[in-house]
Amino acid sequence: MIPVRIMDASEFLSNFVLGIIAFALGANFRLEGLKAAGKPVIWISLLEGAFAWIIVTLVMIIYHSLNNLPIHPAFVLGAAAAATAPAATVMVIREYRANGPVTEMLLKVVAIDDAWCLIFSALAITTANALRLGVFNSVVLLEAMLEICAAVILGAALGFTLKFLSRFIMTAEEVLVVIIGFVLLAVGLSTTLRLSPLLTNIAFGLVVANFVKNSELFFEKLRSIDMVFFLGFFVLVGANLEIQLLPRVGIIGVLYIIFRVLGKFIGVKLGSYISKASSDISKYLAWGLVPQAGVALGVALSAKALYPKYGEVIFTTITATTVIYELVGPIFAKYGLKKAGEI
Amino acid sequence: MNSLLSAGLILLLGFVGARLLKLVRLPSVTAFLLVGILIGPQILNLVTVEIFTASEFFSNLVLGLIAFSLGENFRLDKLRQGVRQVMWISLSAALAAWLLVSAALIVYFISIKMPIYPAIVLGAAASATAPAATVLIIREYRAGGLLTELLLKVVAIDDAWCLIFAAMAIAVGNAMRADVFQMSIIFAGLGEIFGALVLGGVLGYLSSRLSKFVRTREELLVYTLGLLFLNVGLSIALGVSVLLSAMMMGLVLVNIARENYKFFEVMRSVDTPLYLTFFIISGAHLDFAILYKMGIAGILYIAFRTLGKVYGAKLGARVSGAPKSVEDWLGLGLAPQAGVALGIGLVAKVTFPDFGDYIFTIIAATSVIFELVGPLLTKYSLIRAGEISPSE
Repeated sequence: MIPVRIMDASEFLSNFVLGIIAFALGANFRLEGLKAAGKPVIWISLLEGAFAWIIVTLVMIIYHSLNNLPIHPAFVLGAAAAATAPAATVMVIREYRANGPVTEMLLKVVAIDDAWCLIFSALAITTANALRLGVFNSVVLLEAMLEICAAVILGAALGFTLKFLSRFIMTAEEVLVVIIGFVLLAVGLSTTLRLSPLLTNIAFGLVVANFVKNSELFFEKLRSIDMVFFLGFFVLVGANLEIQLLPRVGIIGVLYIIFRVLGKFIGVKLGSYISKASSDISKYLAWGLVPQAGVALGVALSAKALYPKYGEVIFTTITATTVIYELVGPIFAKYGLKKAGEI
Repeated sequence: MNSLLSAGLILLLGFVGARLLKLVRLPSVTAFLLVGILIGPQILNLVTVEIFTASEFFSNLVLGLIAFSLGENFRLDKLRQGVRQVMWISLSAALAAWLLVSAALIVYFISIKMPIYPAIVLGAAASATAPAATVLIIREYRAGGLLTELLLKVVAIDDAWCLIFAAMAIAVGNAMRADVFQMSIIFAGLGEIFGALVLGGVLGYLSSRLSKFVRTREELLVYTLGLLFLNVGLSIALGVSVLLSAMMMGLVLVNIARENYKFFEVMRSVDTPLYLTFFIISGAHLDFAILYKMGIAGILYIAFRTLGKVYGAKLGARVSGAPKSVEDWLGLGLAPQAGVALGIGLVAKVTFPDFGDYIFTIIAATSVIFELVGPLLTKYSLIRAGEISPSE
């Protein structure tokens, strides 16, 4: 029922959605917020993300090399595993009016761990790219570093341009026009310059969140309309999903699901130990970190844009596992909070 | 240049352009059109082919949205006293434009020994108005008053007159050219109107009934947008008027339940980027080379269409006992011409192999002029009627 032309438009749409996700994430890097969050949040979020990333990557490398597949998708899959989706967890907390130290910590952790995920994935995608070209030496690494820097500079430049323009914005309608325009520009410019749209938009969002007065307005306005794009995007993802890939995804998907959760549990334990968090947090927090959504898809999308051939497998794996995580995630979160005695 | 970059530039340049031209008191609509001309293929060429391809889809959506929002003005409980005035003014302004343009062009065509039927079709196209620019001007300057209210209603329904006139003109043109008068063309025209009203009515009723499942504001936005797509898409598929069916959907919604104002409100909060893009793409589409081809016929068309609108509205206002400011200034507010007239031009192009292209060229060329000058005239008339503060 979907005409070809709309399918064509899906590339535009998915790039735009990626831009919105990444931009909104930049807001998590509000410096005051990070400072106020305190040590345990930083350590726990960093380590649960890093362990999910490293463990999934290792497992995927082993699997891919056992099956004589190129190993670079492993890096991207790992990086996507670092993210969690706050929405499902927050919903559970609200529904059961959970309250207590674990709940509080959980909310803070899910708010910032996407930021780590994006840093990991920027590194991972660059590494994967270098590996795919078959050369991995200092020149490639230097180029990769330059690419990352360039993306950050571009995003920051856009952020400061917005700061300049925001003086002239008078109405709420103009806020909407300007912010959509800038997100499109950020994605468009970064793809034209062959930089990571993900990083560019995060840097852009970061500068907006920290340096623009009343920046909340921009994030809010974008949030008020993003559902339209997300909805359109997910319907098209469904229509685009290559079903014949599912069996091949099968084992990868199962490994991904298990080892991502395992990584989260180990990371939380270690992070709590280092930052001396309470034993309840160390035992039960990870249960709330299972859901996965927007950010992981964002990573998958940029992988797909970068290398169409293997990107497709990555993309399908992540969409398929996202569905599963979304189904079981809330149940896990509820279980964890109940065990911690906060429901 | 990729499409995302192009779309981003469209939005930001539109914003900057509107801000700059505000300094010289030009309306945003004009700024958008000028930005469009600037980034269009004739100058900077920053609009990608994909965006041009998508623009038909897009303009249908925006026109549907405009018409839908116009429907909100027809609250039946408040309408009673105004309905006579709306009918008289819209009919008289449309009819006068048709008659005057046709008469002037018939004289001209006879003098250059051309068949006269193109004059009749061109006159019918002259009766059309373009509501989008009018709506945006009124909103931008927060115009308010009797003239504003009447103007919004007149631009909403005069497309119905225009469609009837166009059907008649094409039937007559066919009769003069081939000696067969096809009643079926007129019936098709009437069908286009009634079909649109029925479709819009049914969709409006259903959407009001189903809206109880809509809980959050985000869902409302998705729901309303979905309805509009459905309405526009079905209208195109069934070959009925997009503008009238969307207007009817809005009209039914606003009259069925008090709380349905929320549909219009949620669209108002997000529609600015759509209108901006629409006008910028329209500007990019403007083809100035065509102006050289319009010749004397084009000049006559412009002069007599304007006269017809001004004096037709005056007559209608006087007959229906509207206040003096309406009598004097409403006609000028009807100057914008765009999509509907071009639609008639396209039909003519297909129907008349000999002079169809000529008819289309004249309509397209005069639309360039009216599209650029029309918004300024609308603003001027609202200022003169005292419904926009002169300091704007």
